[in-house]
Amino acid sequence: MKNFKILLIGQPNVGKSSLLNALVGPKVVVSNYPGTTVEITQAEKVFDDKKVEFVDTPGIYSISDRSEEEKVTEKALFQEEVDRAIIIADASSLERGLYLVLQILEAEIPAVIALNFVEEAQKKGIKIDSQNLENILNIPVIPINPLTGKGISDLIDSLLRTKEEAEVFRVEYDDHVEKAINEISCLIKATSIPKRFIAIRVLEGDEDFYGYLEDERIIEEVKRSLTEHPRVAEDISITRYGTASFIAEKVTQIVSVEAEREGLGERIDSVLLHNIWGPFTTGLFLLAIFGILLYLGNLMQDFLMGLTESLLSTFGTAEHSIIVMILVQGLTGVAAGISIALPYVFLFYLFMGLLEDIGLLSRFIVNAERFLKKLGLPGKAFIPLALGLGCTVPAIRATRVLMSEKEQFRTASFFVFVPCSSRIAIIMGIVGFYGGIRLSFYVLATSLVAGLVWAFVVKKVVHIKMERLLLELPPYRRPLIKNVFAKSWIRMQDFVYIVIPLLALGGIAYAIFDTLRLTEVLVKPLAPITAWLGLPKLTAIPLTFGFLQKDLTGAMLLSVLGNEISSALTPLQIYTFGVAATIGIPCVIALGMLVAEFGFKRALFLVGISIGYGVLFAGLAWRIISVLF
Amino acid sequence: MKESDILRVIEEDILRIVGERKKRVLLRFIRTKIKVSYPFLSKAIESLEEAGLICIEKESIRLTEKGRNEAEDIVQKHLVLEKYFRENRSQRKAHQAAHLLEHYVSREVMNNLKKIFTLKKEGVPLIEFGLKKEGLITDILSSDYKLFERLISMGILPGEAIEVIHKIPNGVIVEIKNKKIVLDRSIAKEIRVLDVGI
Repeated sequence: MKNFKILLIGQPNVGKSSLLNALVGPKVVVSNYPGTTVEITQAEKVFDDKKVEFVDTPGIYSISDRSEEEKVTEKALFQEEVDRAIIIADASSLERGLYLVLQILEAEIPAVIALNFVEEAQKKGIKIDSQNLENILNIPVIPINPLTGKGISDLIDSLLRTKEEAEVFRVEYDDHVEKAINEISCLIKATSIPKRFIAIRVLEGDEDFYGYLEDERIIEEVKRSLTEHPRVAEDISITRYGTASFIAEKVTQIVSVEAEREGLGERIDSVLLHNIWGPFTTGLFLLAIFGILLYLGNLMQDFLMGLTESLLSTFGTAEHSIIVMILVQGLTGVAAGISIALPYVFLFYLFMGLLEDIGLLSRFIVNAERFLKKLGLPGKAFIPLALGLGCTVPAIRATRVLMSEKEQFRTASFFVFVPCSSRIAIIMGIVGFYGGIRLSFYVLATSLVAGLVWAFVVKKVVHIKMERLLLELPPYRRPLIKNVFAKSWIRMQDFVYIVIPLLALGGIAYAIFDTLRLTEVLVKPLAPITAWLGLPKLTAIPLTFGFLQKDLTGAMLLSVLGNEISSALTPLQIYTFGVAATIGIPCVIALGMLVAEFGFKRALFLVGISIGYGVLFAGLAWRIISVLF
Repeated sequence: MKESDILRVIEEDILRIVGERKKRVLLRFIRTKIKVSYPFLSKAIESLEEAGLICIEKESIRLTEKGRNEAEDIVQKHLVLEKYFRENRSQRKAHQAAHLLEHYVSREVMNNLKKIFTLKKEGVPLIEFGLKKEGLITDILSSDYKLFERLISMGILPGEAIEVIHKIPNGVIVEIKNKKIVLDRSIAKEIRVLDVGI
């Protein structure tokens, strides 16, 4: 059986995920508003005698190295053997889709155009002559509707048809550009990628393609000549766009339709994009979502812990044997993992997916940007930050939605202050239970202040080039529920297979340390820190070993101080403990995720800084409070 | 490029060259100006004659009335585009860019550029442009090429009609080609828009 690899490429919101869904069924799908994922989704299906692998790429406007999405798509296009590309184009703004098409044709990748939203365009009075478009470009053009299944079988047919070597349309550039393309083409190493395409990319200043030039000296030479003619890149894209709109105009027929009355979408937008109501409704929405998650999370945790306890009680009295300890802590880890995975990861992504497919998410981003910009963060950062209220680990991964690694790292540093559900449990369960609910709000307020101070200092000291707001606001659409479900499921799987076992391992590790009495080794060397915090020496154990499994912090505190915490600690000490346990990178799994995303050096740097900052802040906070009151 | 497109480009070039000189032009001269193979050139000339745009007299070409109108259009286009690109480029490069684009920029955009050109007015920054009225983009001043390319691939380029539909504290929301796009304040400052009352 022949293996066939087909890439799906298109702009954001063009219906790629729906098409993949229509092609292979709901098994694997990821939809895409400008950048919710830079992961590539794959799905396989057998047609006749051919095994076809579909690869879904992130939505992009053009092939370039500007954003992570574009880099990922570029990689998918050129570093793997791709048999065909399906380029999905929106019939109501054809020339923009064609821009991408022309680039793909320059790369000489056999392509098929799937024309989506044909009916929607017709309602606006736009009719596309797809046959004519096919004649001009000399590649198949197939009108589709993934929701009704129209055109899907035609699309599959044309994908599997044997490749005939046809001369496809090519953009002709200005004389001086063509000359430069020819000159550079001669300096390129032998590769499977067409030389003309590489030369164009080089002229457009795409540094990823410099590597195809023969040697360093030539790269330097080309770079120098590019700075002498800085407008070459501009000329290229203008010509390409001009060609795209020329073709689009040729195949588009505009018929006047009755002027659209102000639709529901307009009315929603007049609220969501309003100066005051916009941020207000955005905040309300997010608060409501988070309230639901918190509620369900607690419910789940209580239920699972109850289950664990009743399971363990069947073991009878062998309470302090090492086996039982390991089992208890291991199961606590699993329970904590599940009660994070289901509500915070699955439901969170379900809500986000719905917001995204409806078209609300980009409006929220616009509103969030106003405030996040002041903290030195991009608008999109609200997605990982909100997820961080559930669990820091998937939230660190979710920073991938941001454009640059610098933005990602900066956003990740805020998880030092955004309390995850385990930290909220400490604040509510330990501080709130033993010190009163007012005290737990003080802890939250303190970490908010600590976060703001951090934000402004970081913004002042470290300057990064921020991605400026430039975003398409898609029209409101009815979401495809199975799409959203499938996507959330994928996200949760990741979490289930990696994070839950680690949570269990963390618990087990603590059980072993504890029964071997290794935990007490740390008490003495950490005495200066506990003294600075004004806490009993033994609190060093929950504060440090909480790093192995945050959900055990409370239990550890009880086991070192006894059940009467209110008499062992003053309210001020409970507060300080809460602050010290909250600020910082919460656990070893989060550290692992930081290492995976940003490398050892930066992860350790962030953890070191955050511990120092947390301890310093907690120590200062209780001193200031004790002076004031 | 397909043969018919190449032919069209050559035809338009011939019309422009003859049109610019306003009199008879020797075939030999055209051959020095347009560097394509002879069969292409003669094919293009043939089809121009068939369309009644030119007359061939011995070794030279003259425009018919119909051909003159057509040529004027092309020359106009060329002038507009050349003016457009002259700002940042050398004369020769402006000429070349115009050369190429005249064949490709859509008629609508071309007419808009012409309108802007004849008005001889400077656009205002998009951020200051009035709400709910259509304007034409006259220029994009950004020196950040990556941004420029992104704007172009989203359909934001000189000659396009644009409407500001919302103003928000951090930017503007515009409608262009049936799509809503939100632009940062700083980007909106770099886009020049002209109110032409359409």
